[in-house]
Amino acid sequence: MALSRKAKEAIKTALAMTLSYGIALSLGWEKPYWAGFSVAFISLATSGQSLNKGAYRMLGTLMAGVVSLAIIALSPQNRWLFITLLSVWVGFCTYMTWGKRHPDFWAYSGYVCAVVSMAAGPDPVNAFHTAVLRSQETGLGILVYGLVAIFLWPMNSRPAFETAAAKLASIQHQLLHAGLEWMAGQGDPTTVQQLRAQEIQEQKQFDQLLTAAETDSYDIWELRHHWRSYQHQVTELSEAMVRWRGNLTGTQSLDLPGLMPNLSGFGAELDGRLTQIGRMLTNQEPGQQSSAIEPEIDNTQVLHLSHFHRAALTVIRDQLWRMESLTRSLFHSVCYIKGFSPVVPALDDRPSATEGFGLPDPDRAAGAVRAMLIMWIAYLGMIYVDRFPAGADAVAVAGTFGLVIAGIPQVSIWLLFLPAFVSVLVTGLIYLFVMPQLSSFLGLGVLLFCATFAIYYLLAAPKLNVAKLMAISMFITVISVSNHQTYHFLVVSTTALMLPVVFICMGVTAYFPVDLRPRQSFLRLLGCYFRSCEYLMDALPQDPLKRESHLARMRKAFHLRQVSSLPTKLGVWSRVLNMKALPGTSPQQITAMVTALQGLSYRIQQLVEDRANPQAPFLVQELRSDVVAWRMKMTEAFRCLTEKPSMENQHLFNTELTGIIQRLNLRIEEVVDKATGNITDQDGENFYRLLGAYRGVSDALAVYVASAGGIDWAPWHEERFY
Amino acid sequence: MYRGALDMNTIPHELAVGGVYLPPLLVAVTLGTIAAVLTALLFNRIRLSRYFFYPPLLFLALVMIYTVLLGTFVVRI
Repeated sequence: MALSRKAKEAIKTALAMTLSYGIALSLGWEKPYWAGFSVAFISLATSGQSLNKGAYRMLGTLMAGVVSLAIIALSPQNRWLFITLLSVWVGFCTYMTWGKRHPDFWAYSGYVCAVVSMAAGPDPVNAFHTAVLRSQETGLGILVYGLVAIFLWPMNSRPAFETAAAKLASIQHQLLHAGLEWMAGQGDPTTVQQLRAQEIQEQKQFDQLLTAAETDSYDIWELRHHWRSYQHQVTELSEAMVRWRGNLTGTQSLDLPGLMPNLSGFGAELDGRLTQIGRMLTNQEPGQQSSAIEPEIDNTQVLHLSHFHRAALTVIRDQLWRMESLTRSLFHSVCYIKGFSPVVPALDDRPSATEGFGLPDPDRAAGAVRAMLIMWIAYLGMIYVDRFPAGADAVAVAGTFGLVIAGIPQVSIWLLFLPAFVSVLVTGLIYLFVMPQLSSFLGLGVLLFCATFAIYYLLAAPKLNVAKLMAISMFITVISVSNHQTYHFLVVSTTALMLPVVFICMGVTAYFPVDLRPRQSFLRLLGCYFRSCEYLMDALPQDPLKRESHLARMRKAFHLRQVSSLPTKLGVWSRVLNMKALPGTSPQQITAMVTALQGLSYRIQQLVEDRANPQAPFLVQELRSDVVAWRMKMTEAFRCLTEKPSMENQHLFNTELTGIIQRLNLRIEEVVDKATGNITDQDGENFYRLLGAYRGVSDALAVYVASAGGIDWAPWHEERFY
Repeated sequence: MYRGALDMNTIPHELAVGGVYLPPLLVAVTLGTIAAVLTALLFNRIRLSRYFFYPPLLFLALVMIYTVLLGTFVVRI
């Protein structure tokens, strides 16, 4: 009988768990469950993922050991300094955990530090021993699981990675196809939305598997720089296609096939390239080579267009050009990676403009403060409440849970509490009624194997991952295996009572100091989004050639990052909104609003980029007052939206905005007539790009205002308990 | 059911459930929280919660009020 993948993975984890306990007990180590925790947490789908996680866990544990000893040494006999230092470290690690650089390392550095410090703090004489014990048991768990994963049904990441790469390429191909159809006046926006959602998911999967495959596949490791370059190009292509699709709305009234004579050939070339990329990723030879192609514009036809239409056309042409360049680079990268071409492509791994390392993230900072606060509440409880359940252990658990929950504030704490509590009760029964009957490691080993197998088999679905980790953690905690095993009802009751106390600490911080209820969070983030838009609009440079101060650049980068990231966060919060409490709002309306915000984000980013290009002084001077009027109108609109998410008088707003755009159009007609000979071709291109960006922001804002206008906002502002 | 409930002195007493002694404050807090949750659900349903500045604070107050009332008159802490 062939075992399923789920059963094999559960057997591997159960075997590693049993062996870890067996080795730790036979060596006479105290707290062998620390090795069990290591096994439980590094057990992932492929050996590469597990080894990566194991490496980060080991490094994080070593770092945590050093930091814990330093904290204990710096705060002898001073409990307030001790908790201050510990909570600051946990807060810092929380902040770093939810960033992009080595999240696992920071997560383990934070939570192991909380565990070791709270275990060793009350017993500083043995602090060094505790830190070393934790490190060696973590190492044991990682080693045992690593060996089991390598020798028993090894699951290399490479096939999964190659499948993910091919699937991602196929989705991007379908998205390009859908966009080209849309350009030709056909296509369905719903299909595009669904494909885009799949693309985001596949990109995440691809990123995770690439890291794993680099670890367990020599072939991928050898070409890792090229795969990273490919990953960067795929991300850039994804963003370029989103911007391109977003701008198509401005050209719907144009006869694009007439204005761009080689549009069908251009589309076919890009389509062909993505087809060949898909073939090569499945190890088939490319049927054709790629050749450079330019999106041409028929200048005679363009003369009949208004300036805004010319601007929209310039923007579309630029975006098509960008996509052409990216697909060509992708084609050459895949050709080389798959061995179909000896030509080494240039590596492309520049960071994106919105990925500044030094820029603070207010949401992550709020999460870090929350994790610190959870620790403080538990610590104060331990000091001031007589017989506080689990004492120092509760503080360590509070720190750990705080670190986890800080980055996923939208997840209800009930989803964590219920599996943990049920697991404590079930494990309590095993601990009280089954374990006392065991007299040797044979019996204990069978019990450990069966329980671990059951948890990992029954809770194998990805959506049950949190429940699985909670269940195994509580199982390991409650059975508290040691060489001098004792059984006491208090172990179960204390753990069962500790959980509500820790979750109350977490629950309190969901309301104070920052209200993290979904509706309030959604409105708060919406306000932040428009505040950033207002700043960016207000801070557009009058003279692009004038150098901005370092602070001004930092602020601009910060608000740009906010504008680009907040729609995604709003999308996440929108999924947990209680729609029953919001009559007059449908999920479709919220999705449309978030999509409109995403479109607005891309337009604002485009405007900021285009505004940095030099402009002809003559045009700038002549159009200054009209551009300033537009900018002031937009700034005012964003300010209003910061306070209220919809326009009070949508019709008036649209009329005023249209009036400003029409006046600008007329002025451009006059100025361009006067300007003949005063501006170069490059100036003209830059001017049309900028004009297209202005128009794009206006249109995107109008789309948002229309989508938000259909929502009844009164219930959103009505106070409720939950 | 519980030991010392009828004693009108200050000797601590516990509730015995299946041979396990539970502190009466724990029982009072649990019942107080359940009562506060039910009240909050009711207030949400009849839209009374909109008259409060910050309902989570009210919830905390309700837990305390119910705990004290139940502890004094029902559980007898």
